[in-house]
Amino acid sequence: MRKKGSRKPKGKFRALRLILLIGFLLTMALIFLVSTLGSQKFGPLHELLLEAAGPVQNILARGSDMLRSLKQDYVDLLTVRQENKRLWAELQECRTLSYKNREALATNTRLRKLLDFKETTKLPMVAARIIGKDPSVWFRSVIIDRGSRDGVSRGMAVVNGDGVVGQVFSVSPNFAKVLLAIAPSSAMDVLLQKSRARGILKGTGAPVFQLDYILKNSEVHEGDQVVTAGYGGIFPTGLPIGVVSKVARKRRGMFLEIEVTPAVDFLTLEDLLVVEQELIISEDKGGVLPVVP
Amino acid sequence: MFVIGFFFLGLLLIGLQTTLLMFYPLWSGAPDLYFVLVAYLAYRHDLLRSLIILFPLSMIFDVLSGLLLGMYPALFILGFLLLKFTSARLPVRESLYQVPMIGVGYLLVSWLVYVVMSFATPSLLVPWSWPVMLMRAGLVIVCAFPLFRFFEFFSRRVEGRFFGRHKVRLRSGNRYRE
Repeated sequence: MRKKGSRKPKGKFRALRLILLIGFLLTMALIFLVSTLGSQKFGPLHELLLEAAGPVQNILARGSDMLRSLKQDYVDLLTVRQENKRLWAELQECRTLSYKNREALATNTRLRKLLDFKETTKLPMVAARIIGKDPSVWFRSVIIDRGSRDGVSRGMAVVNGDGVVGQVFSVSPNFAKVLLAIAPSSAMDVLLQKSRARGILKGTGAPVFQLDYILKNSEVHEGDQVVTAGYGGIFPTGLPIGVVSKVARKRRGMFLEIEVTPAVDFLTLEDLLVVEQELIISEDKGGVLPVVP
Repeated sequence: MFVIGFFFLGLLLIGLQTTLLMFYPLWSGAPDLYFVLVAYLAYRHDLLRSLIILFPLSMIFDVLSGLLLGMYPALFILGFLLLKFTSARLPVRESLYQVPMIGVGYLLVSWLVYVVMSFATPSLLVPWSWPVMLMRAGLVIVCAFPLFRFFEFFSRRVEGRFFGRHKVRLRSGNRYRE
């Protein structure tokens, strides 16, 4: 009995569902037809549908992106070691290149300065490079890569772009020893550019000169330029030597006590110019004299 | 072979001392490696062979450094003789005590030569500075131990034997007189 009673409503519901489905499909078809053949207006229903579908699309798109990103990360991870090695090698190469460029730039600046100096002075000069330095603490000399074969001879002045460096002390066919101007045994005839007072500049062994024989009545101030006097004929006139850094007037004595800071930085000497001029050497006294034309 | 080998080694040390170890012309922190070689030869080898090595090397050093010819041969030969004499006379011959002696010898000989030179040619030398000279003596001491080991190794190689006389010799119990 129960079975029979329950079968009847099931059949009714099935028919109702069928009618509802057909009704829904017809409605949808009608909407489709109206929207397609009608005014083509994006109405509230379309908006509603878009709003309903949008989040789904968004979630799916994000999921897809995440998956793609994960895949990419995995692939990257597989190649990252090799990439890392390659990048390190590239970085090292770039760094080396950068150092080389910087060095080339510094060399270029230095050599340009030397060239400018050479062109300004109009004196015959030979370029030289320091290849050795005196390791003792008692002398101040350097070895250069030019010798008598290059026209270098004893007594010649040695300069760089900043000013006077020293004097050639001894020569072999391919090399020469240069006595630096700051050596205690070095002495030069100099002029104070402003007051034209003449004195003797002596080395102290330290990167500072001592200027002697400037009378107390001379006008000397800190910052005055000191240049070669050119009286001895070894150093051409007007080569920069340094700047007066200290002037002391003591009660006793006729002369001022003057300290001069060298124009040349003796801590960074590298490239030099030897001023080629004919000199005769008096062997008996070991002195050097310029050739008088 | 020993003489030639040590001659070239000395040449290399002089080269290092005048180029790589001299950062700029006024640098006073370059260790006197050549003096360590002088000390090694004085302590470990015979007079004749050592002098054959030292004379030409000192002359090369003289040409590359300084303004007074003959100063460095005098300094190094004097140093060599002093260390040779002390090594023969001193009762203790352990390396531990010999190494500081190199520094003391270096300082003493440098001072002696400086005094003589400053009398002979005044105003030619940079004024004597105790801090600088003490630092240089210290550098010589610091470099002496590793260089002595290297020289021992080099000596064995050039003489064609891998185990030196000092190694295989049986030592007596008396470490002060052997």
